[in-house]
Amino acid sequence: MAFEDLLEDPVIQKYLHELVGPKGMPVAAAPPDGEVTDEELAEELDLELNDVRRALFILYENDLATYRRLRDEDSGWLTYLWTFEYDNIPENLEEELYRLHEALEERREYEQNHEFYLCEICSIRFEFGEAMDFGFECPECGSPLESMDNNRLVHAMDSRLDELEDELNIDVRAN
Amino acid sequence: MSVSAVEANLSEDERAGLELVRISGGIHQSDFWKELDVSSRKGSRIVESLVEKELVEREETVYDGHNTYFITPTARDLDFTLLMAGDMLSPFIGEEEVDPNSDAFSQWIMNLAYQE
Repeated sequence: MAFEDLLEDPVIQKYLHELVGPKGMPVAAAPPDGEVTDEELAEELDLELNDVRRALFILYENDLATYRRLRDEDSGWLTYLWTFEYDNIPENLEEELYRLHEALEERREYEQNHEFYLCEICSIRFEFGEAMDFGFECPECGSPLESMDNNRLVHAMDSRLDELEDELNIDVRAN
Repeated sequence: MSVSAVEANLSEDERAGLELVRISGGIHQSDFWKELDVSSRKGSRIVESLVEKELVEREETVYDGHNTYFITPTARDLDFTLLMAGDMLSPFIGEEEVDPNSDAFSQWIMNLAYQE
């Protein structure tokens, strides 16, 4: 098996699982050295050929696998020879760190600039304007809506933003 | 050759240089050799060797009014646990669009605030 050092990382395992799902995981978790056909993988892992192909295609879409096609001269059939490109995993996850940072910045702004009301029974949150429209009563169960302090959320987002900026060398002053 | 095998074959100076880049998270070449206490020529040779082995990345920059390089660890050294909130992975993985107001992201933020 190849890329063992990467595959030991629990976040990378979770990432692959997120992409290919439970049925594709046997394919994603055991990349062979060198080239392999979908049939070989299905046989080796005792999986349905369709599940193997689906997983390979998802990996391909995420730059984590490539293939080349060979035509069998006798039968005229095409064989796909797959190569796992897991060296691209760190760059993909780096990109995800940037996307997460962007989302956190935007969401933090929203949390900071709005007031929220909560129905403690239904655990539904309303913006101030919505709550007012409902006369500060939950439209689901009728209980009174209570003003909700979201400082803890903002604080948690702030510290993760700090960590991300530190890790990615994002210069906040430049923004 | 795997990355750990490449690292195992580094000279002592290269290893110290790599360590410095990783600990700093990113450093200008002009500070790099001073911190390592080697000549600027030697510092530049160490960086070149680490770049060639794909253990660090280097880009041109202006620092203190002169041209130098900024040296950073590669993506491989990043702390990917920052994508996690509790045991939940960033909900944007596998998604084309990033929606900061999605329910999945709200759940992620709740996990972040109320984990432990």
